[in-house]
Amino acid sequence: MDWQGQKRAEMLMQLLLVASAVAAFLVGYAMADFQLMLLVYAGGVVLTALVTVPNWPFFNRHPLKWLDAAEADRHPRPQVSAATTAGKKKIGKNK
Amino acid sequence: MHSFGHRANAVATFAVTILAAMCFAASFSDNFHSPSPVASVKILNTNWFQKESHGNDEVSMTLNISADLSSLFTWNTKQVFVFVAAEYETPQNALNQVSLWDGIIPSKEHAKFLIHTTNKYRFIDQGSNLKGKDFNLTMHWHIMPKTGKMFADKIVMTGYRLPEQYR
Repeated sequence: MDWQGQKRAEMLMQLLLVASAVAAFLVGYAMADFQLMLLVYAGGVVLTALVTVPNWPFFNRHPLKWLDAAEADRHPRPQVSAATTAGKKKIGKNK
Repeated sequence: MHSFGHRANAVATFAVTILAAMCFAASFSDNFHSPSPVASVKILNTNWFQKESHGNDEVSMTLNISADLSSLFTWNTKQVFVFVAAEYETPQNALNQVSLWDGIIPSKEHAKFLIHTTNKYRFIDQGSNLKGKDFNLTMHWHIMPKTGKMFADKIVMTGYRLPEQYR
């Protein structure tokens, strides 16, 4: 799931849950049936989970565009002065 | 929201939080309900009335209890506990309450009833004050909701009087 997908999933989750809660409460109150409210809400929760939990293709429409590996070779990070104590590690990383 | 588990956890937590809010709202909706219960109790007979060996007055009577409590029920009502108490004043106590009968009403369909019974619990005074005593019969009820706070109320019925003599 890409960044946009994660944002979308979270918003969808909150929207669906609140909407199903409001719908469930109204139905339950109108029909004077507490159990019906719980059932409608449970349905809403299941639906929300199905929509937002799996990694649907819908959430992967904005893939990150990584630079090509060759690009990094063409623009090497500036070298720190070679003789410092941490030199060994840095050199390894910048290879 | 980066992994399956994280998203499942987020859905579960938020769903339960909202469920709590819904229960609160259901409980709150009871405040807009104004019931109109009716009740009446007739004393058909005083079966016997005596002083026990340890000096306390006891009376047995036959009651006819009729009530329509169906308006107490809302969509958030689990059951209603109802009891009839004899209430009177004595020199020692400003208020004596003796429960004579009680019952649990499980649903709106059972909330309209007529019961012909002797007092289910013994009507014993703390002392010997019952001769010719004026008393009230009060129907108390406690509404037990599915969620939220309990409500209690009562109907006071006045004008009952015990016999002047033991019998």
